[in-house]
Amino acid sequence: MSKKISISKYLAYIFLILLCFIWAIPLVFGIATSFRSQTEVVSTGFRLLPVNWIVDNYVSILDNTSTAPILRWLMNSLFIATTHTFLVIVVISITGYGYSRLKFKGRDTLFFTLLGISFFPGVVNLIPSYKIIDALGWVNTAWAMIVPGLAGMGNIFLVRQFMKGIPKELDESARVDGASEFKIYYSVILPLIKPVLIVCGLFSFTGSWNDFLWPVIVYTDVDKMPVTAGLLLLQDIYGNYRMIGQLMGSAILAIIPTLLLFLFAQKYFVQSINLNAGIKG
Amino acid sequence: MNGMNKKVNVTPLFFIGPHVILFAVFILLPTIYGMYASFTQWNLVGDPVWVGLDNYKTILFNTDSTFHYQFFNGMKNTFIFVGLSVPLLIAIPLLIAVALEHKKVKMKSFFQSILYIPGLISISAAALIWSLIFNKQLGVVSNVFGSEPVWASTQPYAWITIIAITIWGGIGGNMIIYRASINGVSKDLYESAEIDGAGSIRKFWNITLPSIRFPLIYTFVMTTAGCFNVFGQPLMMTNGGPQQSTTVLMMYIRQLAFSHGQSIAGMASAMAVLLGLVILVVSALQYYLMNRNAT
Repeated sequence: MSKKISISKYLAYIFLILLCFIWAIPLVFGIATSFRSQTEVVSTGFRLLPVNWIVDNYVSILDNTSTAPILRWLMNSLFIATTHTFLVIVVISITGYGYSRLKFKGRDTLFFTLLGISFFPGVVNLIPSYKIIDALGWVNTAWAMIVPGLAGMGNIFLVRQFMKGIPKELDESARVDGASEFKIYYSVILPLIKPVLIVCGLFSFTGSWNDFLWPVIVYTDVDKMPVTAGLLLLQDIYGNYRMIGQLMGSAILAIIPTLLLFLFAQKYFVQSINLNAGIKG
Repeated sequence: MNGMNKKVNVTPLFFIGPHVILFAVFILLPTIYGMYASFTQWNLVGDPVWVGLDNYKTILFNTDSTFHYQFFNGMKNTFIFVGLSVPLLIAIPLLIAVALEHKKVKMKSFFQSILYIPGLISISAAALIWSLIFNKQLGVVSNVFGSEPVWASTQPYAWITIIAITIWGGIGGNMIIYRASINGVSKDLYESAEIDGAGSIRKFWNITLPSIRFPLIYTFVMTTAGCFNVFGQPLMMTNGGPQQSTTVLMMYIRQLAFSHGQSIAGMASAMAVLLGLVILVVSALQYYLMNRNAT
């Protein structure tokens, strides 16, 4: 009996270690190459780790502020992702409260109608979305990436589901005490739905930071674009691996912010267990 | 009485109104307009000109037209991508979740972090790194495994590069959902199965899988729908080559609507609507079949 368990335990360990090894290699290889000089790359060819560790690649990446202003791109991405995430949290918590706590005619019909419409594949609205952004004068501005994503229903669904798990007695006793709906939302419900908001916030931040198709379409101005669209240009600028260290360095710089966010917020990812219970029900 | 009713109704307006406006402007309006545009000739600048079913006829039936070729080639390549990646995006996270939820395994969050982190990397950054892995002169694949061809421009390797980067960055979400679901399965079920002498594999088939049926259906449908929208991986890894054999439909749609020169947004919209319909039908079919098989 116990022998059986230990065999499956070792199998699980072997599988996980092997997989983690494969998963880590590209990052390690990319980081290591970003510290190699181009001459070393050309003369010694394939090596996992550099012969001489140098930071020249990063120095020249940061020096190039005209054709590939990567710091600028990073700042653009940071502004876009942070603002978007903040607004997502405001919108989904207020709207979720409306759909789970307020009583008005046709509430659930409205909710499920919008949810149903949002299931229609987003590819259809891609081209007109560009037109709308253009009409609003938002092409090549941060708003093109901050605002449209606020219309989504997915996060509101999760928040509404999560709020259903909070006992109604809490807000009803506040209502008896004469608190306004906004007061109940702000001081009773908001603190209790923090876990779901943090998870939605993390997903919104990484989603916004890593969005690729949309920024490639709405940004043509090199100074205004986020880092994902910028990196697409790099293949031309540092192209064909003539400046491989710079290419890798730029990719590594683009990874750092989401990586830091993940490391700080890692424990909250476990909270998605609660969300899952919501999905199940 | 009427006045009072109005007063009561202001609060929901305040809570729900802003999002309803956002929804109308950024989802409802563009979706309707996208369908309308598919029946028009449109260059994105002027007003669309109604042409009825012409775009659809050209795409579906005019075998001499480039649009016909692009649509069917793009659709075929999109299906190849979906067929190759979806099974792996379900099976690998499921195996990881089972291994991570093994009661004797330690360092769970360490393993999970390593496997989750690639999902935080944008496709353009990931593609730069993976191009290095597959680089003929410098990469791991040619130097460690002695592979001869130039991967990004030779089939079937071009598909392998695209699938590899997709799996690498795409398992995190499903892994967390499966882990959480398996964690929620009642321990009593496993214990009584153990008393009956069931081994690990039988416990997996008879207890774990049926218990997480809903998350499985959910992730299967969502992952498939997501994969139909594939765009970044082939654009960055192979640029659609060799000979357009990895050019997926989204790449043609973007090229027709937004590339330099005259925009052909009406035709692109028709392709988008057709892709949207395929996604809807496939999702509904999956949901129906999995629900029926399970009960």
